[in-house]
Amino acid sequence: MLKSISPGGANSITSINFNPSAFVEEKVRQIREYVGGSKAAIATSGGVDSTTCAVLAHKALGGRLICFFMDTGFMREGEVEEVSEVLRSLGLPLRVLYVRDRFMEALRGKRDAEEKRITFRETFYRVLSEEAKREGCDVLIQGTIAPDWIETSGGIKTQHNVLEQLGLNTVERYGFRLLEPLLELYKDQVREVARYLGVRLEASERQPFPGPGLMVRCIGEVKEEKLKVLRAATSVVERALGGLRPPPNQYFAAVVEDERSDASQAVERAVWEALPGGKVQYFNCRATGVKGDNRAYGKIAVVSGGKADIEELFKIPERIIHEDGDVVRAVYELGGEGSGMGGGSVNRYAVLVRAVETRDFMTAKPYHVPMELLERLCRDLLEIKGVSSVCYDITSKPPATVEYE
Amino acid sequence: MRIPVVFLGGQYNHLIVRALKELGVESWMITPKVRLEELQVDGLVMGGGPHSVNDGLERFGNLPQIIERGWFPILGICLSHQLLGLLLGGRVVKGRKPEYGRTIIRVIEADEIFQGVGSEFVAWASHNDEVRQEGGRFRVLAKSDYCDVEALKHESKQIYGVQFHVEVAETPKGKEILNNFVKMCR
Repeated sequence: MLKSISPGGANSITSINFNPSAFVEEKVRQIREYVGGSKAAIATSGGVDSTTCAVLAHKALGGRLICFFMDTGFMREGEVEEVSEVLRSLGLPLRVLYVRDRFMEALRGKRDAEEKRITFRETFYRVLSEEAKREGCDVLIQGTIAPDWIETSGGIKTQHNVLEQLGLNTVERYGFRLLEPLLELYKDQVREVARYLGVRLEASERQPFPGPGLMVRCIGEVKEEKLKVLRAATSVVERALGGLRPPPNQYFAAVVEDERSDASQAVERAVWEALPGGKVQYFNCRATGVKGDNRAYGKIAVVSGGKADIEELFKIPERIIHEDGDVVRAVYELGGEGSGMGGGSVNRYAVLVRAVETRDFMTAKPYHVPMELLERLCRDLLEIKGVSSVCYDITSKPPATVEYE
Repeated sequence: MRIPVVFLGGQYNHLIVRALKELGVESWMITPKVRLEELQVDGLVMGGGPHSVNDGLERFGNLPQIIERGWFPILGICLSHQLLGLLLGGRVVKGRKPEYGRTIIRVIEADEIFQGVGSEFVAWASHNDEVRQEGGRFRVLAKSDYCDVEALKHESKQIYGVQFHVEVAETPKGKEILNNFVKMCR
């Protein structure tokens, strides 16, 4: 199942001692050997992993590499232009594919997180293999890193770029051979490689953005209007939290229909004990979590009211889960229109703000954002048309994941 | 110093290898199918995973024999801690209040594995099952509010289990605990 580069015999799985310069030298050699006389394609999102991988592959293959960037429709405001410009400035031979409609069409009516991710992956590779064939490439290089395949093989979530680890035969299914040079690395090691390769700081230091982009932050079904609210909220959140020092390792907005149901009395009591005067409800949707090395897909609790220090709020998710094992995360409502029951209101989306502190994204804790800043952020977000409620995510990983789906 | 890590499918297994390397140890991942004779090592760490020991031991390969007959110190983390609890005669049951995330570990019996980390520390755990002592051939070294066996030690050998994750960044004393284990392997 897993690649082996190891000192310890047949039952060993992996081992590398990390040194960026030796790593680059070894990988350049391996890429040349693997690609041979063929041409290779790489799909980049502008994120650290795929950009670093593209520069590495370009170093190895020069003109025999073509670099694709897909406008899936799930990019942030202005990102398509910005990323294209960064990739071109790195000297990469770039082709931008404008394929928004194909993704929207494929995803119509799909609410389940795994179904959405699998649909995204299938659409992504179908587009990619068509274009790669047109360019005469028979090798696909991608920047998969360790947490991607660890989460996928553990069944936590389907990463869009993990294929071989799942036993998919890429030659039969998509018509290309697959090469993943960064497979053993963690994020911080990728950043070391990026710096070593001279990848511009904006690309190598920017906060991670998942491959399926805003799709996984549009909780439940993807709709044009919902995506528009999310895009606007994303800009506001990035502006507001980007100035924090030290910066959170990741911070973003997610959006969900503001429709709720009641929690049990036991859950209400547990919240009341931790947060006198506090209330709790559930959103009518599900989100991804990880409990005891198993994937969980459960409820999001919305806690509101009461008065407590933010560190005290961070202890609430555990209390709720002890009473209801189907909950994977909790958010604290910073403000909104009140009942949150939707009704006849034109504003029908809740914006969930997430900011985390983490070394390697395998575990994470919610970031202690000053309350005044959260309150200001809430006021700004409520000004976006369509937003009825603003919440801050108070859950660690585990039991939640960093992203929602 | 050679200390491999047994991969049992857990998300953090790679982080154990990484933490050991950062402590200057030669470390790599092995599968549970490894045979005792193949292990030219100074110690062994066994990782966590998504299964339950109550669903059968096939997934654990040769680990039962290695634990029984190995001559080197062994550290089991999370699922492997539960494997030790079961093999050493205790029971593994579904926890009434599972822990996911932050927890406070309270050391109840001083031991070299916890040297220099104090009697109480913050750790991260993520488990549905837990170990019950009930006549097991091990001593309980630590507990938390929600779990009575957070750490165990074989009654006569240097075999340890910890329910929490020493390998993640959110367990600040984890590296020291791992280092205490490494020192025993010398």
